[in-house]
Amino acid sequence: MSQRLQQGFSQFRKNPAFAGFVLFAFTILLNAVIQGPGSFFGVRRLNTLIYTSLPFLLVVMAQSVLLLSGTMDISVGVQVALVNVVTIMTMQEWGLSFILACGLGIGAAIIASLVCWLLVSVLRLPALLASFALTYAIRGVNVLIMSVAQGKVPREFYRPYQSAIFDMVPASILALVLALLVWAYVRRTRFGTNIYAVGANPRNAFAAGINPAKVQLQAFMLKGLFVGMAGICLTLVTASGNPTQAEDYGIRSLAACIIGGLSFGGWGSMACGVFGGSFLILTQNAVEFSFRRLGVLIPGFTASTYWQNFVSDIIIFLGLLMTMVTAKGQREALRINLQNSVMFKRRAAHGK
Amino acid sequence: MGNNIMRRWPALMPVAISVLLYAFTVIVQPSALNWTAVTSIVMLTLLLSFASAGQTLVLIGGGMDFTVGAVMSASAILTAAIMNSQDGRFLPAFGAVMVMSVAIGLLNGVCTVKIGLPPLIVTMAISNVVSRLQYILTQGSPLGYASPAFIRTVTSQLFGVVPSLTLYALVLFPLMFYILNRSRLGHQVYLVGNNPVAARLNGIGVNKVVILTYVISAVFSGFTGMLGAAYMQSAKCQMFDEYAYNSLIAVIVGGTALTGGVGTYTGTIAGALLMVVLNNTLTTPALQLTPPMRNILLGLVMVLLLILYNRGKAVRQ
Repeated sequence: MSQRLQQGFSQFRKNPAFAGFVLFAFTILLNAVIQGPGSFFGVRRLNTLIYTSLPFLLVVMAQSVLLLSGTMDISVGVQVALVNVVTIMTMQEWGLSFILACGLGIGAAIIASLVCWLLVSVLRLPALLASFALTYAIRGVNVLIMSVAQGKVPREFYRPYQSAIFDMVPASILALVLALLVWAYVRRTRFGTNIYAVGANPRNAFAAGINPAKVQLQAFMLKGLFVGMAGICLTLVTASGNPTQAEDYGIRSLAACIIGGLSFGGWGSMACGVFGGSFLILTQNAVEFSFRRLGVLIPGFTASTYWQNFVSDIIIFLGLLMTMVTAKGQREALRINLQNSVMFKRRAAHGK
Repeated sequence: MGNNIMRRWPALMPVAISVLLYAFTVIVQPSALNWTAVTSIVMLTLLLSFASAGQTLVLIGGGMDFTVGAVMSASAILTAAIMNSQDGRFLPAFGAVMVMSVAIGLLNGVCTVKIGLPPLIVTMAISNVVSRLQYILTQGSPLGYASPAFIRTVTSQLFGVVPSLTLYALVLFPLMFYILNRSRLGHQVYLVGNNPVAARLNGIGVNKVVILTYVISAVFSGFTGMLGAAYMQSAKCQMFDEYAYNSLIAVIVGGTALTGGVGTYTGTIAGALLMVVLNNTLTTPALQLTPPMRNILLGLVMVLLLILYNRGKAVRQ
């Protein structure tokens, strides 16, 4: 029994998501310890935490899809704002229903993703710089569509999103489950296999009969869908429109994926991204809470948000340092496995 | 043939485009052709090319340095705080800035080498921490001013025409050319960027070289931050943050490859000129561009520039 457990653990340690999981478990523990388990796992607080951080988590999932396929997009942040702006303005100016406006918002995210695909996969520009240039363009479009923050969402839509079903399960988590189901389905299709081949080495994938541009097109479409969902969720969180919000999501989502154990192409899984993103969210949550608690415990202790930001950025940096220990071991394991299988085949071929 | 010329003279194209852009600006608004405008373009170009000097070195060595902006802002804040509008405090400020820059550069280099993660992510995380430190140090408000004498060495006009910032260029440009083209380190950086494994097999301490490029980059950006403090007279948090991306784009537009091993500093200077002229054109009053339109155009032009130079190889070959 214990042997099997040990075996299972050593298997899990070789999993790409191990690094992210350790950090995730650590921050959950940290939160539970400093806030008290009853308080942190209480439905109300957990519900608020989940529905406010869901947009970011969905963006991280979108970024993970791109990283797996060997590209990236740092304009995802302004694309989330684009969805928000399109949804609110089509509802306000054209009198569309909220559902229809959401559809248009997701459509806008998919169009933005297609433009990025065109630059990165068809014109073969460096993904980092091309999407940085795109950040400027989309930011301009956002402000053209909506010059200042305005608009509102009908109450009957954002109330259910922010509530908990039967006072037990946060309703917002359904969006996350939906996104994960979509990914679980996609992962089982041919595309789900090809994305790893293209991410690891487009040239080899091409030689094996895969069209890299087509696979990346599918990846960008899926990413557009996730970013669209993130934009809708953000609209439901704030219940209004703002053209300049969520701009830092682009860079932060990239950091989350890398901390979770993804690398640029062909290595890792969606779980890496989800754990990495949760790590960032929970870190910020823990730091905010402990600063508030310190303010109550020590009279006269007023820590500015500057200190809070500093501490959470330090923790994120330490998280990156952690991957030095965890992720390197996994890549080593992968390399040894590959080597062994190649050696084994060679030996078999030579009849030894 | 055309390709050959571009490879031999990477600076040619950005300079040509800059001249065309400026000519276009002058046609649209004839009053743009005056000595003040030219001087301001020259000064901004010099600042950006100083800041991009280290970035060039790092990119040729196969890395990427996103702390350029944060280091510049932090050094500007230190300079303004230490000088506090009094003359004769250049050396303490310079010393503090250098200590900080070398420390951040070492951190960058050691972390990228040891963590083995993409330098983009590592340097960005460090740059975030440096930015947060600026807020803690200043509590969000400017701390003081650069000393009058130091400001004069940057902004006054020699013989009434040439901005005195060019005097710094007379020192920094040759220094950078020496490092890149004449020194042992420069050769090693090219080799490491081209093929780290081959470089290691040839007896080059690859890690040492990479760490050194990051330190040099931080030192250059730190010193540029001091000059920036004098140029702006006071210093705010994150005021030079855009230099992180701008330096990267200037270097890339100047013909340095993102993959490492290829690049010149002349190209970088030309790239910096192009970035500054482009900004100047987009803000020309006669064009009557609203800020969102300016953003959209800037994005489009950057994409066009990338298409001109930095396309990857086709998969089908």
